[in-house]
Amino acid sequence: MKKKVVSILLACSMIATMAACDKGGDDESAQNSSISESKAEEAKQAGADFENGKFKETKHIVVEIYDRGNDGGSDPENNMYTDYIKKGMLEDHNVDVTFKKVPRWTEVDEINNLLAAGTAPDVCVTYSYPTIQTYANMDAVIDLAPYVETYKNDLPNLWNWLGDTNINWDKDPKTGNLWCVEAKLAVSNRVLTFVRQDWLDKLGLQAPTTKAEFEAMLVAFKDNASTLLGADAAKMVPYSVSYDVGWRAATLIESFLDPNMSDKEYYVNGFDDRKLTQNGTKEGVRLLNKWYNMGLMWNDFAQYGSGDTTEDDMMKAGFVGAFTHNWDYPYRNGEDSINANLARNIGPEAKFVAIDPFEDKNGTHTKFVPGPIDRKVFFPKTNKEPLASMLYLDWISDPEHIQYLQIGDEGVTHVKTADGAIQTQAATGNAIMNSGMNIDYTITVNGLKLISEELTNKSRALNYPGIPAEEVIRAHTIANTDLRVGKNVNVGVISAEEGIGDTLSQKRDIAYDKAVVASTSDFDKVWDEEIKNYLNAGGQDIIDERTQKWEEFFGSSDMLP
Amino acid sequence: MAEVTNQEKNQTKQSAFSVYLKRYWQLYVLLALPLIYLLVFKYVPMLYVQIAFKNYKIGKSVWSAAWAKNYGFQYFIKAFKDRDFINALFNTLTLNLKDLIFGFPAPIIFALILNELPFKGFKKVIQTVAYMPHFLSWVIIGSLSLQLFAQDSGMVNMFLKSIGLDAVPFIAESRHWVRTYIGWGIWQSFGWNSIVYLAAIAGISPDLYEAAAMDGAGRFAKMWHITLPSLKPTIVVLLIMNLGYIMGGGMERPMALYNKLVMDKAEVISTYVYTVGIKGSQFSLTTAIGLFQSVVGVILILSANWISRKLGERGIW
Repeated sequence: MKKKVVSILLACSMIATMAACDKGGDDESAQNSSISESKAEEAKQAGADFENGKFKETKHIVVEIYDRGNDGGSDPENNMYTDYIKKGMLEDHNVDVTFKKVPRWTEVDEINNLLAAGTAPDVCVTYSYPTIQTYANMDAVIDLAPYVETYKNDLPNLWNWLGDTNINWDKDPKTGNLWCVEAKLAVSNRVLTFVRQDWLDKLGLQAPTTKAEFEAMLVAFKDNASTLLGADAAKMVPYSVSYDVGWRAATLIESFLDPNMSDKEYYVNGFDDRKLTQNGTKEGVRLLNKWYNMGLMWNDFAQYGSGDTTEDDMMKAGFVGAFTHNWDYPYRNGEDSINANLARNIGPEAKFVAIDPFEDKNGTHTKFVPGPIDRKVFFPKTNKEPLASMLYLDWISDPEHIQYLQIGDEGVTHVKTADGAIQTQAATGNAIMNSGMNIDYTITVNGLKLISEELTNKSRALNYPGIPAEEVIRAHTIANTDLRVGKNVNVGVISAEEGIGDTLSQKRDIAYDKAVVASTSDFDKVWDEEIKNYLNAGGQDIIDERTQKWEEFFGSSDMLP
Repeated sequence: MAEVTNQEKNQTKQSAFSVYLKRYWQLYVLLALPLIYLLVFKYVPMLYVQIAFKNYKIGKSVWSAAWAKNYGFQYFIKAFKDRDFINALFNTLTLNLKDLIFGFPAPIIFALILNELPFKGFKKVIQTVAYMPHFLSWVIIGSLSLQLFAQDSGMVNMFLKSIGLDAVPFIAESRHWVRTYIGWGIWQSFGWNSIVYLAAIAGISPDLYEAAAMDGAGRFAKMWHITLPSLKPTIVVLLIMNLGYIMGGGMERPMALYNKLVMDKAEVISTYVYTVGIKGSQFSLTTAIGLFQSVVGVILILSANWISRKLGERGIW
């Protein structure tokens, strides 16, 4: 009875504080200090029922989980790993966890719909910071700052793993608001180019090391289509990209950027992570346009949307000569990996191997990788258990829990090699990991992270069932060659970026796609026109505001301190 | 019964209502269901049209939101200054107009042809086959379209290439895409839409045809002088209703059929509202656009209705 009274009182006071915030209205700056005080108070009250790391009364939270829709995968909401998490959270914190699946490849659309409808999970995960910012501006996201500070001692794993860098990565330098915490990248490998080793061998070619050699190789593939594919010669695609050209030709495009570009230039033009407005991108696309018009690329690439498997199927069937994608793309998914399919469909010699063919103007192979941040975790305002949700993040960041989720049970999802390294093996039924190393469950980590660092390094290459370790090491090495790691330019909210992310992403894809398929003589016209469209739709405002904010914080310096 | 009627006549309107309520309450209860549906799903949401005139924040109540600038018309002004919106508006109008011009006569012609078929069994089969596409969702038609019309892997283009012709960018180039889009629309709906006309034709008195035959009228004369004039009221009502949709239209069809290469012609208001409003979370802006769309739709229906009455036809009111 007493508990009931207390919780009713608490609820009333929550409503009262929310109403108080409500009155603040648009005059927020004037009331800033009192609001953050009330937020801290609210955070403290959330722990009224909380003692020694455990709630007295069971709390219920809903956690977002990506659904990759894998063929024959396990149920993302209900499998061996969700059971492990649910059991652990209930025992350790008395928090009952439910999962809600959201399609991986349309997650931004989906989370937008859920937020708009007020039915988003309590713990949300997305790759899109602008989405979080937009909803934060509409008072629909919980400020995490008071929680991570007030309960610092109750969140040891979160602080140990993410540290100040990732927890406060997005903390507003002026208002102190914190709308999300950034998951940490354990490895910064990004995008690589892959080529069919057996095709190179058949034609007596060496792996290309320059753009010119790469082009000559694509031409050789096309000219020898009937040797390589026989009756299916017409289906050959020497170099494949998807509609998302900026991502799927990233290393090529980046090779046209100045490796010594100033931090300021990179930041100012950097809203679009596909580098549409960076200086040099146009020349990269011009090269793609040339290849397209030479018949070296897939004519229908722009027709298939996000998450469509047509292109993957062509790779698996052996029609594709080379492509650029995530650094481990052909090795992912065990029995269903691209290389496993090739071996089955064509023969054991058929496989994609990593290459590094796109030299920049210094003759190096600079890859522009983002900072050590990954997905963003945030709590929408509809979350009534922010503290329980925080504890969830802490629980999921515990090294022991990360290790279990990443490698599973011995004998089921992995075996130990003679020197103690963990070798992943394909599992069945409930134990199938829908994402490599269960990245979808370990929402604060991306990349293998075992308790022992030595073991991690030994095991990384053994993480892809059926793929020889040296091929994974080769890809890993190339992915770590000539990195330019992104830095945190934290200048607070850029208001021009608000609500415009999806419109601009769409414009960007249109610009890339139309420029690639334009006739050679029309290329400049099409590119300039589409860039103008992009800038007019809000791209220019972002560039201007970023320039102004940079100057406000860093003055005339071109580099970060 | 007569006694009851007299009694009712003597009563005031209000009490007449209560008598009716008492006697036929079961019917009123039945009527209440659709009324509640309308109220909850059609009228209550209208309260939130005010979002169009306010600085709406999703975390707060609509009622406490501040009014937008320019006497609340900030977002209308913003929309009409946005080139993308103007483009989407233009595309909506042209695509829907083309749909109307090419798509509206199709079911009428089909119904007339069907009506002339002498073999009942054959007619039934054709009718059923023509209805089928109506039951396919646009997502399925979208992937059919890809399988048939893609540049490299589309069946039609593979056939064209095999007989030595060039591939046609049916869905990869804006102007071709518009034709494909209209074509799929007609294909999907002509059979289903012909049902209304077939029903109207079935209602035409056979005496008229017999009399015409006596006067020596042939097939075409009968069609022209009897069938079509009898269909006229149906045609007019459907035309008015279709005019109301000129500014609207769903989002499934463009969304299932478009791709990045044809967005300049394919982005319509509904898809624009989805990208900018839901995905970009600019709810006030897109509510303003939706309101504008509805107002224009109502004006179009009213004027079409007025014109048809002036022309001596029955309107929908």
